[in-house]
Amino acid sequence: MIRIEGVNKHFGKLHVLKNINLHIKKGEKLVVIGPSGSGKSTLIRCMNFLEKPSSGRVIVDGVELTAPKAPIAKVRQNVAMVFQSFNLYPHKTVLENLTLAPIKVQGVDKKQAEESALMYLDRVGLLSKAHNYPTQLSGGQQQRVAIARALNMHPKAILFDEPTSALDPEMIQEVLDVMVGLSHDNITMVVVTHEMGFARQVADRVIFMDEGEIMEEGSPEHFFTNPTNERTKLFLSKILR
Amino acid sequence: MFSGNGPFAWFKWEALFTDWRLFASGFGYTILLSVCALLLALFIGIIVGICSTSQSKILRGIMRVYVEFFQNTPLLVQIFVLYNGLPFLGVVLSVTTIGVVGVGVYHGAYIAEVVRSGIGSISKGQLEAAYSQGFTYWQAMAYIIIPQARRVIMPPLTMQAVNLIKNTSMIAIISGADIIFTAKSWSSTNMYYGPAFVLAGLLYFILCFPLTRAAKKMELKAQEHAPGMIREHAA
Repeated sequence: MIRIEGVNKHFGKLHVLKNINLHIKKGEKLVVIGPSGSGKSTLIRCMNFLEKPSSGRVIVDGVELTAPKAPIAKVRQNVAMVFQSFNLYPHKTVLENLTLAPIKVQGVDKKQAEESALMYLDRVGLLSKAHNYPTQLSGGQQQRVAIARALNMHPKAILFDEPTSALDPEMIQEVLDVMVGLSHDNITMVVVTHEMGFARQVADRVIFMDEGEIMEEGSPEHFFTNPTNERTKLFLSKILR
Repeated sequence: MFSGNGPFAWFKWEALFTDWRLFASGFGYTILLSVCALLLALFIGIIVGICSTSQSKILRGIMRVYVEFFQNTPLLVQIFVLYNGLPFLGVVLSVTTIGVVGVGVYHGAYIAEVVRSGIGSISKGQLEAAYSQGFTYWQAMAYIIIPQARRVIMPPLTMQAVNLIKNTSMIAIISGADIIFTAKSWSSTNMYYGPAFVLAGLLYFILCFPLTRAAKKMELKAQEHAPGMIREHAA
């Protein structure tokens, strides 16, 4: 589904991604962990080309995004993203947030877009908020709307860029619950997170990044019971107290 | 001052009221010029403003040159060039066209800056969210960025309209029959400058004051909504 080949990313003098190679299979649930500044957000943002790699190839859904004149906007319709800061459209109601892109970008019939939107809102437990504006919702509710907005594009993959990092602690679980629910579907999920419980529960594979490199990868069992890399051990010991 | 032969003597006012049609037509001409120039300025300003936020360095550079040139040279000089310079190149424009083009292009530069900073006030996450859903740059502008930036843009934009109306008076130096030219030519024959220019000022005030008030109102409204509308990137 997503293939990263020899990707490097520089921000000025900073070398934030160092020759990354990664293949994410269709339907796989991949969790990316690592300390801040390790390049994990940059990596996930390369997958829908919000960040353009300095070199290397990114192939998503069979399309090479790094090729000149690649149909990037087209591919993005199939690869939704959930942001740390939600980024809901504040001038639109919750329902309109869900239907805007399907109608304008995918050309879905308005009625049909609204029907599926209401279904997804129900799924994230926010059907009653359909006609509210995002600012009238709590952070946790906004993020659940953002997930419903992603779902209403009927994507093949969803990228989660630290979806719970901007939330108050008591709101984290409601968002994680929705994501755990999603993981039972056949959809591809890439999740950058610090929530180790979630990683353990949902991930098919976990990768640990540090200083722009993938230091270790494996199943959650391997990761949390028997990590081999010293830096992984150090990181986990700090985060799993 | 108001008696005998003072600058605002009553009989001078009477003469003014007798010739009211002259001033009415000057007033009408100023409105015509303002509306046409404003439409042109909005057209230029919105396009240049949006282009100024695009990713293309070349496009941004061209827009910068336009804005800096017109912001940093007097409108008076620009109108002179259009009036006296263009005929040398074989282009002779009517006075009205010069007024519309001169004032429109000049204020287009200011409006472009208003639009650019309005777009800049919307958090980067909004454009990213739009991109991530497959919107193109122009679609994102049309459906997501501009509708939000509108609240921020409207008050200073209205003040630009006020400035534009006042600046149409520049057309008087090339004999466009606007309010100022009418006041000047009418009073230069009878020397009744006082009433003529008081009326001229009043006519501009009638046009501009409601706009200034509207701008103030919109500013207050925009501030009320600001906390929710402009969401900073969470830490």
